[in-house]
Amino acid sequence: MTKIEETARNFDFHGEALDNVFEDYAKLRSGCPVGRSEKYGGFWFITKSEDIFAAEQNHETFGVAPSMMFPPVCDRPLPPIDVDQPEHTAYRRILLPLFTPKELKKMEQPIRQAAQEQAAMFMAKGSGADASYGYARPVPLQIFSALAGFPEEDWSKFDQWMDDILYERIENPEKSEKATAAVFAYFDNLLEEWVDDPESNTLIDYLCRAEIDGKRLTHDELLRYCYLIFLAGLDTTAWAIRAGIWHLARTPEDQQKLRDNPDLIPMACEEFLRCLSPVQAMARTCLKDTEVRGQKINEGERVLLVFGAGNRDEDVFPNPDKIDIEREENRHLGFGGGIHRCLGSNLGRRELVVGIEEFLNVVPEFTLADPDQKWHGVGPLNLNF
Amino acid sequence: MKVCIKEDRCQGHARCVYFAPDVFEIDDEGYSSVNVDHEDVPAELQAGVRKAAANCPELAIEISE
Repeated sequence: MTKIEETARNFDFHGEALDNVFEDYAKLRSGCPVGRSEKYGGFWFITKSEDIFAAEQNHETFGVAPSMMFPPVCDRPLPPIDVDQPEHTAYRRILLPLFTPKELKKMEQPIRQAAQEQAAMFMAKGSGADASYGYARPVPLQIFSALAGFPEEDWSKFDQWMDDILYERIENPEKSEKATAAVFAYFDNLLEEWVDDPESNTLIDYLCRAEIDGKRLTHDELLRYCYLIFLAGLDTTAWAIRAGIWHLARTPEDQQKLRDNPDLIPMACEEFLRCLSPVQAMARTCLKDTEVRGQKINEGERVLLVFGAGNRDEDVFPNPDKIDIEREENRHLGFGGGIHRCLGSNLGRRELVVGIEEFLNVVPEFTLADPDQKWHGVGPLNLNF
Repeated sequence: MKVCIKEDRCQGHARCVYFAPDVFEIDDEGYSSVNVDHEDVPAELQAGVRKAAANCPELAIEISE
């Protein structure tokens, strides 16, 4: 077997495989841009930006059912991400109006306040403190849980559930399944107790009041939708904020540049999303036989759109592996695209920008306490400052 | 310079209003359209429109000059 064939066969984008995944991406883009891995029962992967983009636009050939996350986190379809057209649009439209730029302006104050509060608490812990558990995670926990309508007394349980579901599912599937069951039970109870208070407008309120074709969502649909927003709204943003701080901690010149020119922070955050995105790949299922870059893929086969590889594609991004916080043209796929574009992208982006702004406002020059801490995930990120 | 959004291409990333807030408008579901007063883009807004087009993840913005 040649080296590139071996890289393709063993290609993985979870856990420790992420340590050196950018090298794999570069090899695959040049030597095997569309290929097949034998991991997780086998899957096709697409690594070139142009091909990923084309697949996202073509939802008649590339469906999402049974699961966009791969391997799946749960054996039940999660609306809206695991649902194909035409049902998909109706599910998505329930929450779409809540994540527009206009709605986000109303949330500016709570977002900033959460970031300021958490930054002050982080500072109080002193040099050596963990900026992941002490900042990157609690910021979205506070912002998103309030928006979603998850009661504050329950927030302390969420990190463990999330870690078990998302980060144990490969090595320790039983632990992951147990946490999934706990989260379903949690929302089962929350939904049972739901009362229609016209003064309250959380995501859960919107879901419970929504009608599709004149009918409310069933209890089971609501449960699956709640489980999805729970996973989607907390972990990804925490990862993005942590990754941004990770980069700044090991790149003092970029940190100083952002301190001197805070107007560059939104642009820097786009670069963090391009290069260090929490969502490295999402799955599709071929609904008919197709061909990508000359490679035949049959109906029914699972295909991974490797956004992380496309985001470092030299045909789209000059000097693609350089994190250039002043990159002006940044058409990255950090939030995916096409009809399944991340529903919360505007919120996630704002939390990231404000999260970095307030961290830099409050925390003086910082460096990694442990230079070996990984770029990926939501694990510890201890900083000296 | 004229600018338009390709039909059904916009998916609501809202990058265009970030770079050119006077030229693009977002509806109640987050989808973008070109402000009718600025379909002919005034010179001072053209740089923002070019940035919007270059950063649109859906390649939805069409510029003709």
